[in-house]
Amino acid sequence: MSVADIWLFLQQGVLSGLVTGSVYALLAVAVVIVFKTTDVPNFAQGEIFMVGGYVALFMILVLDWHYALVIPVTLIAVAAICALFQRVVMERVIASKGVGVQLVIATLGLAYVLKGAVRQTGLGDAPRSLPALIAPDTVIIGDAVLTRLDLMILSTALVVMLGLYVLFNHTRTGKAMRAVGMNPKASQIVGVSLVRIRMLVWALAGLISAVSAILITPKILITPDIGHIAILAFAAAIVGGITSIPGAIVGGFIIGVAENLVGLFVSTNAIVVAPFLAILIVLVVRPQGILGGKAQVKKV
Amino acid sequence: MKMDFDKWALAAAAVVLAVLPFIASGYILYIVNLLMIYIVLALGLHIVIGETGQFALSHAAFYGIGIYVAGIINNAWHPNLVISVLVAGVVAAGLGYLLGALAIRMRDIYLALSTFAFGEAMQWVFLNWNEVTNGSNGYQMSPAWFFGFELTSDLRAYPFTVLGAALMLWVTVWLSRSQLGAAFRAVRESDVAAQAMGVNANVIKRVAFMCSAAYAGMAGGLYTTFASFIHPESLGFWTTILILIMIVVGGIGSVRGAVIGAVIFGLISELLRQMLSFQEIIYGLILIGFMMFAPRGLFSGRRRTRKAAAATGAGSSGGTQA
Amino acid sequence: MNDQTQALLSIDGLTVRFGGLTAVDDLSFQVLPGRIHALIGPNGAGKSTIFNCISRYYDPTGGAISFAGADVTRHRAADMAALGVARTFQNLELFNDLTVEENVLLGTYSYGARGLARLLRRPVAANREFAHHLLERVGLIDFLDARAGGLDFGRQKMLELARALAIKPRLLLLDEPAAGLRNREIDKLDGILTDLASREGVTVLLVEHVMQLVMSISDRITVMSFGHKIAEGPPAEIRSDARVIEAYLGKGNLDE
Repeated sequence: MSVADIWLFLQQGVLSGLVTGSVYALLAVAVVIVFKTTDVPNFAQGEIFMVGGYVALFMILVLDWHYALVIPVTLIAVAAICALFQRVVMERVIASKGVGVQLVIATLGLAYVLKGAVRQTGLGDAPRSLPALIAPDTVIIGDAVLTRLDLMILSTALVVMLGLYVLFNHTRTGKAMRAVGMNPKASQIVGVSLVRIRMLVWALAGLISAVSAILITPKILITPDIGHIAILAFAAAIVGGITSIPGAIVGGFIIGVAENLVGLFVSTNAIVVAPFLAILIVLVVRPQGILGGKAQVKKV
Repeated sequence: MKMDFDKWALAAAAVVLAVLPFIASGYILYIVNLLMIYIVLALGLHIVIGETGQFALSHAAFYGIGIYVAGIINNAWHPNLVISVLVAGVVAAGLGYLLGALAIRMRDIYLALSTFAFGEAMQWVFLNWNEVTNGSNGYQMSPAWFFGFELTSDLRAYPFTVLGAALMLWVTVWLSRSQLGAAFRAVRESDVAAQAMGVNANVIKRVAFMCSAAYAGMAGGLYTTFASFIHPESLGFWTTILILIMIVVGGIGSVRGAVIGAVIFGLISELLRQMLSFQEIIYGLILIGFMMFAPRGLFSGRRRTRKAAAATGAGSSGGTQA
Repeated sequence: MNDQTQALLSIDGLTVRFGGLTAVDDLSFQVLPGRIHALIGPNGAGKSTIFNCISRYYDPTGGAISFAGADVTRHRAADMAALGVARTFQNLELFNDLTVEENVLLGTYSYGARGLARLLRRPVAANREFAHHLLERVGLIDFLDARAGGLDFGRQKMLELARALAIKPRLLLLDEPAAGLRNREIDKLDGILTDLASREGVTVLLVEHVMQLVMSISDRITVMSFGHKIAEGPPAEIRSDARVIEAYLGKGNLDE
């Protein structure tokens, strides 16, 4: 491989990686906000993402609605499903004295149900894709090639992240969410409804996942099994620091870029195992991730 | 009382299992063989998660290692199955100890995620190390042998899987009652206090990892007594989760729970395999249902001593005030 | 105090720094065998840090810790029990889901011994008898099968004490044993500790805020403030020491 080739691969890998990375970043944020607020790693986040894609697909292909209608309805539908699940199922598990592992298994149950349900509709019989929102014109940056869709994905993701920043730092609800994440009991004392906040956090995570699904589905082929993308979201969250939202974003971009570079420089086969190696390396070397602050030491 | 219930249950199970080969079809014997494997797997996970409180999600990886090791040995040398099973167990145990050494520095979610990542990385190795495992084509295994007797059917393998499961159950109970078992539980409850009592928490955690991997490896070895083919697809996260569900539904920390949970969910999982459509939805709903209405599982993990809540009526489980 | 008696526990120039904060600064003191020694001082004085160093959960930044003449500064926490050092915890570290009996039984097993073979043994009658004896002593014999986490606070503290005694310690480190106890319970604790020291020769080092107990049972008191030792001596001296009074109150006295 010549130096020129390497340079080309690098540019392409990084830029394409930033695009897919922005989607992983959003999913990672979804995972992190649920984890921070409820201490539950949501193993259904990938399937929620998948459902977002299929709901949009259904509306466009079957109902023949316009994107302007499809997008908001999809977001609301997915957010509602998530809020409902948290309110009805998870709260019940908590009330029945279920703790961590039982809550996680409940999310696994959700993952199975969502996957099965989508398969039942028949939409998942063949891999499909959403029609593009923008003309697929290419844009050249340096030596790398991106499409206008890619740029749209990237910019939309950044806008969403900005929106989240505003939400968490400048709104009461956002601050309440953060408070619950830091100290649920104290939050209750100052009048925050834990049940309501948990429901809102799940809804928000669902919303973010649906956004990422709508963004990426025109670019790739969607199948009911695409939920396994969640592992990349988890890897991103761990790399960035599973208790840090900015960390999740940074982690997402890193995973996206790394995935592309591994694919270009190593092999496409290696792409599959890369996130697991990333998780292992980060957890052994610096478990709190890049932005996770100090490593937690148990107080004696 | 508790003790009598156990003895009755075991006796009844022994009778049923003894009679079964004479009246049941090959398919049913296959299911029972499979359930015996699940029981050993569940007991192994019980030791690391239920007894020691370490959420190791790498179980299927060690099961896979056990299957491949035993399978390779069987194909190459056709030794006595006891040897293949033991070697499978030892190899898995060694790797389990190493994983433990890495993972014990981590807590809770980090431990779970790193062991999960290890499990996935191992599945990738099974899928891609073509020279050894034949990768995504799956691996063909020749029958196991026992002193000149070749195990070519589920019926022939049956006594071995049943005895294997019974043996591991006995070992588990014995471990639980030993000082090592007490050390496992102490580490689960408070590794800080355990250290103050002289228990080296790090060593105990590594031993727990090792034991659990040994069980999984041996389960893999036992699997080769009645199965002739293995594909890496069944050696990943979802299999580990299935075993986890078995011990959670049975009741974390309870040996009875692990066994009953293995039987129940082993049956559910096989039954659903028959129903091609809806299987995922039903499986998911069953999980959700159990977690919503019986998250603590069927059996309590806490051991009750033989004393009837005697002494003074103050005492029993839930303890309290004067 | 007889200078010829060798100290059971000797702290020399102990310094502990966490990042930029110096929690303990060049602390030295000795505890003689069979004595009850108290470590007191306002919150933030570094007392628990010292405890955690002695019981080896923290590594000191400088200085040395000796137990029975041997340097234990770099020992592992799990090694201390075999040497005969037991402790209780400020925030309770019980084996919550185990029974009262199981908590204490654990201390009767010999984990310090080398060899996995010993671990594979079942506990014997002697273990159980000893555990019951200890539980009787702290008044918990009627709660053998109770879940440790479900006991009321005072009883939980007693359970931790019984569990610590199960390892047959030469040195007992008690981290705020009287915190949250009612007067009746404090009196009982007083009795147990005095017995342990005078009749069984167990050495006791306690960190404590409850002055009633400290003044009643201590042979010697070391007073800390912001990581430094500011006074040391028998209760009578400490009670009227101006520096001590100032550290706690600014003005006033220590009589309750």
